[in-house]
Parts: sequence; structure tokens; C-alpha cells
Amino acid sequence: MNQLAVELTRQAGAHPAISVENLDVVFGAGGKGVTALAGVNVTIPTGGLVTMLGPSGCGKSTLLRALADLVPAAAGEISIFGRSPRLAREARDFAFVFQDATLLPWRSAIDNVRLPLEVGGGAPKHADPAELLDLVGLKGREKALPEELSGGMRQRVAIARALVTRPRILLMDEPFGALDEITRDKLNEELLRIWQETGTTIVFVTHSIPEAVFLGQKVLVLAANPGRVREYVPVELPFPRRLKVRDTLEFVQITAHLRQLLEEC
Amino acid sequence: MADIAIATPSRYPGKSRALWMIASRRWPAIAAVLGLVVIWEIITAGFHVPSYMAPSPVEVLAAFRDNGQTLWTNVWPTVFEALLGFFFGNLVAIVVAVWFVHSPTAERAFYPVAVFMHTVPIIALAPILVLLFGNGFTPKIIIAALICFFPTLVNMVRGLRAVSPAALDLMRVLSAKKSEIFWKLRLPSSLPFLFAALKIAATTCVIGAIVAEWIGSSFGLGALIIEATYNFRSSLLYATVLVAALLAVLLFSIVSLAEARLIRWKSPVVG
Repeated sequence: MNQLAVELTRQAGAHPAISVENLDVVFGAGGKGVTALAGVNVTIPTGGLVTMLGPSGCGKSTLLRALADLVPAAAGEISIFGRSPRLAREARDFAFVFQDATLLPWRSAIDNVRLPLEVGGGAPKHADPAELLDLVGLKGREKALPEELSGGMRQRVAIARALVTRPRILLMDEPFGALDEITRDKLNEELLRIWQETGTTIVFVTHSIPEAVFLGQKVLVLAANPGRVREYVPVELPFPRRLKVRDTLEFVQITAHLRQLLEEC
Repeated sequence: MADIAIATPSRYPGKSRALWMIASRRWPAIAAVLGLVVIWEIITAGFHVPSYMAPSPVEVLAAFRDNGQTLWTNVWPTVFEALLGFFFGNLVAIVVAVWFVHSPTAERAFYPVAVFMHTVPIIALAPILVLLFGNGFTPKIIIAALICFFPTLVNMVRGLRAVSPAALDLMRVLSAKKSEIFWKLRLPSSLPFLFAALKIAATTCVIGAIVAEWIGSSFGLGALIIEATYNFRSSLLYATVLVAALLAVLLFSIVSLAEARLIRWKSPVVG
């Protein structure tokens, strides 16, 4: 079977975007190891948008980092389009957006977006960096250094950088956590627009209940000590969603349910 | 400077305004220096201080006129030694820093050696090097290099390590090779640290060259300082010291200029 056929089979859904089976993650070696995640099972469909929510120390960031091959699994299986996280990373199946924009301060916005194309042997396919900056609303600021941009703008550059390799999965670790609420709301709306325009699978970690509900098709609620799945809550709100969806009864009911879950964690 | 700016406002409007702005910002410093020179003149003239003890500013100026040729021929060896010392001292420091950052064993083995070398007074090292390498340029260049070495090593090691864990995670997710992490992340983020050290080295390399010339040398500003002192040619001594200071200031300015052109970002940390 040729490469194209393999691609097509994958995209037709032969594998879910992400499947995690009985995952354990342990920090520290030997008997003193701390179990960060125990027996996590989750499936994320291709093209889905799943948010992860949980109290501090529940391992939501750890789970995301395990998917990104930044943290090794102690036991269990992670499969990303049928491949191990390491192979998926090398194939540029996913991109990661960190809590801090993590831009290189000596590079202009557009050069920061280009970074993924310059390292790790480049990317099999890539988008036009200028078009991506336009997509995230930064047309005209291509030459700006990170220090000349606001926190929200820097995070937009980071999102453009993540999208430049045309990843099939976007892993986002509290990307808007450090931003003010107004900027955060705006970026939430824009993220949904980008998701619908690009069809990228998104896994989004947050500690904000409204953000988790507003963005997610499903919310994965984790509990702490050890980190484990508490509940996988579907959010039956239609897309495209606007900010005012947060004033609807359904939205409030779901957030109330999640708050209840988190209190029990 | 201020006079020029006032005298030619119409002919060079842009340039004169820039000069005027520098003058208006720097006038306290200029006034302070001029004031000190005037006080110096008053003290030497008023108290009849003998010229061999402390020459007056006018006498120092006269020394520049009378010994222009001597100063000119002796400044070049010192410039040569200082520049070569600056180049090699910093180059070796950078290379060793890169080595240390990539090999913890090398750092554990040789960092104490580097610290020990730094604690040996440079003036005590000079005679040893003269014995080893003779009276030529070599011992002077080595001393100028040694004096540059340590601050650059320490700063460069710090700079190469001043990379946030998040930036390293980013490079890992991008499957970046070690060499790519070095060239695209570690090296650029170390530049502000490197230039902080280079600015120190720009002035200390001149000190190193001059101190080395004190011991068994017949040329250079250092030798001229010794000669002028022993012959009670105080105004020449003062003039030589001024030239040495100007040389250091010039090198410092060149490094600062290079820094301003190369490093246009403020924060040394990836954020």
C-alpha cells in the first residue's frame, strides 16, 4: 500500500486521533516515585475538540505532556493516529502550545512562526507563515519583536507557530491562563474559528470551568491523588459558539455539574 | 561639542541637533570634567607643586605636543597585544564554556582549575611568562588573554544555561537536534551575557597588556610608563596614562556599539 493510501485510511478514521489505554505516569525513580497518573483511559476522535479540567496536581498537564512525548509512560499505551508519541512527534503529527508563548525574543513574529520549519529536519508539509499570522489576526505585525507585542499577541504568534507544520493535533497547555479575561474571551472565540477552519484535533488543558465548557465538545474531568479520569462530560452546545452561549441555561447547567464534580475530587 | 552645535545650526540641522541633544544630556559630565581639570590647574599653580611631583594640565598637554611621536609609536604595540589578547582570551573562554555546558565531567574537572588561575594575581604571573616566552609580544598577549578569560567563561556558562525549560520543551516537541538547540536557542540567548563580559574584557585587556609591558619590555605604553616614572618625566607619564585610558574607552565603546547592533531585544530570557 502506498503512502497516500495509508494517509487516506488514517484520515478515514481507521484510528482515533488519540487513544490512551491504562496509562500510568510516575515521577522519580524507585520506591519514592510519585504516581502522577494512574490507569487513564481516554479516546479523542479525529477533528475533535476536547478540554481537560481538574484541580491542581490532577495530572492534566502531565497527560498532555505524555501525549507530546515530553513525559514517558510508566505503563500503558498511548497511540496517536496508531503511532507511538515519539514517532508521531517525529512525523510532526502534533504541535504544542505552552502556557507561556515561549517565543524567541531575538526573532520577529514571522521568524518565530518559521522556527518549526528550520529545525528537526523541517516538516513534510507546511503552511505560509504570513497567512498564519493573518489567520491569528496579526497581519502587519510580521516584523515585530516579541517584546513589542502584548501578551495576547504573543500567544497568537505561538498558535501560528504551532499551526505552521499543519499538525493534525494541537496540544494546548493552559495557553490563555496568563491573559486577562477580555483577551482570553477573544482568543477563545478565535480558537474555535481556527479549529473549524483547519479541522485540527485540539486537546486543551485549562483550569477554568467556563473556558472548558465554551471550547469543548467534551470535557475530560480529572481527579487528583493519583491523577485519574473522573468523568468524560459531553457538551451538547451547537457550533459555531459565540460568547453569549455562556448565558444560556444549558451552559450554566454543565458548568454547575462540572463544579460539583471538581468539589468532590 | 556644544559650541559646534550652536555655531552651525543652519548648515547641519539634523547633525547639529543630535550633537546638541548629546551636549544637553551630557553637560553635567562635561562640566564636571572641565571643573576638575581647572581645580587641578589651580592647585598645581597655586601651591607651586613641582612638575615632577604632579604636572599641571597645561604641562600634560605640552607633553602630548613634545612626545607625540613617542606616544604614537608606543601605543601600537599595546593596541596589538590588547586586541589579540581580547580575541584569544574570549575565544578560548567561549569554547571552554560550550565544552562545560555539554560535558558536566569537564566542568567538574576544569572549573576549579579556572578559578585557581583567576585567583593568581596577574602581576605575579607576568614575570613567570616573561621567563617562559621571553621579551617579545607573546607573554603580553597571553596576559591580556588571561585577564579576559575568566569573566567571559563564567558569564558564557551562565548565558548558555539561561534557557527556560519551556523553550527546551518546545525544541524537543519540534524534534530539534542538539546542534540545532545550540545554534538556534542556547547561543542567541547567551549573547547578552557574553556582551556583559566582553565589555569588562574590553577594558581589562588593556590593563593586562600594560602590566605585562612593565616587566622586561622596551616598547608599549607600559614600558613608557616605567621609563617616564624612573626619569621623573611626570608630564609624559600622565600623558601616557591618559592615552591608555582613552584606548580602553575606545575598545569599550566599540564593544558597546556592537552590542547595541546585535542585541535588539531587552529580555535575556525566552518568554
